[in-house]
Amino acid sequence: MGVMADLGRLLDTELVRNAGPLWDEATTSPFLEAVARGDVSPAVFGRWLSQDYLFATELTAFQAVAVSKVPRACHKPLIGGLAALDSELAWFESHAETLKLELSVPPHPACRRYTDFLLHAAHTDRYPLLLATLFAVEASYLAAWSALAAEGPYREFIERWSSEAFNDYVLSLRRLAEDNPDPGQQGAFNRVLEFERDFWKMSWEG
Amino acid sequence: MLHERLWEQNQDLAQASLGHPLVEALRDGTLAPAAFRGYIAQDAFFLEAFARAYALALARSRGAEPIGLFHVLIGGVRDELRLHAAYAAELEIDLSRVQPNPACRAYTDFLLATAWHRSLGEVLAAMTPCMRLYAFLGQELLLRIGGQGKVKVHPYGRWITAYSGPDMQDLADHIDSLLDRFSKDTPAVRQAYRYAMQCEVDFFSAALETPAQVLEGQR
Repeated sequence: MGVMADLGRLLDTELVRNAGPLWDEATTSPFLEAVARGDVSPAVFGRWLSQDYLFATELTAFQAVAVSKVPRACHKPLIGGLAALDSELAWFESHAETLKLELSVPPHPACRRYTDFLLHAAHTDRYPLLLATLFAVEASYLAAWSALAAEGPYREFIERWSSEAFNDYVLSLRRLAEDNPDPGQQGAFNRVLEFERDFWKMSWEG
Repeated sequence: MLHERLWEQNQDLAQASLGHPLVEALRDGTLAPAAFRGYIAQDAFFLEAFARAYALALARSRGAEPIGLFHVLIGGVRDELRLHAAYAAELEIDLSRVQPNPACRAYTDFLLATAWHRSLGEVLAAMTPCMRLYAFLGQELLLRIGGQGKVKVHPYGRWITAYSGPDMQDLADHIDSLLDRFSKDTPAVRQAYRYAMQCEVDFFSAALETPAQVLEGQR
């Protein structure tokens, strides 16, 4: 309850408001509904997991490059986030082992387009845009998972991305984006939402 | 040779490009001017990214010889951009205001993410398909319209001449040789090559599908 109330405040930002309907498109999906009901097929869940693992690997690279470009005041959340990504990759690997899933799969075009955007941006965009990009990636993920009741066979997944720790991280990213304004931020934010929407679609439809 | 194996493994996409409605209409001379205009605008946007990717590939290479080869390749892109600038002037396209369509954007993001972030071998695998494919399309189209005698009166003869000429073939051979020299037959290299070929097919499709009015605007 506390977390959900905080989430409302956390997402009450210009970047989210100005995204319009894109925000809902990026944070809701039949895939997530099936996860919440607990009746997502193993093949579909496996596709999502292996592509999300690839995504998290490339997000790590994006964030590492971003760390090299942001001012010192931005270091703590970003470097802390990198450590969390390392734990997350290990967590994915252990789940893949349990589920006997192959993680070295080629990226699906929807995943590739998203990570190509991130890596190209990491090297060529101004750092305030990178902050808005990272806020979009994590805030939309937080919102998507926080909307689900933490129960059923995928409870551990739902809890991971609706936790208070994740809320705090997203809040720190929001502050960094807001403290370093740039007219290009909304464009970067919206592009991430389009990629999130397409990623969920790919997870569900293949 | 790696370049032959990769070209062979991706013949399905090479043939899909040759048989693509846009390429067939270009060959027949029936391609609508609006579609050609949109295609040229997107291609000019793409070529700027392509030139930058070459420069990043050059920065990653070792030794003196690649400097000369990449210099020639970047010069080739510049010649292509001159062709596009000439078309842009005739077709009244402001190339500085072109907005990339999603397929063009995905392709340039891929090229530049690869060029900034991956090994030289992967960069070359991402860049070779464009060159080899256009050299192939140029020659095939020239053959199919009836050769040099017909090209002068063909509505898109200048385009066919540019891509079927010996300069284009030399450039494609150049990058093939760099690929053989610096790339290894790894899954990442094969995936980059194939994905670039798929981007080429998608690029043609988008040029037909994207309404002309969203092609331009403030960047």
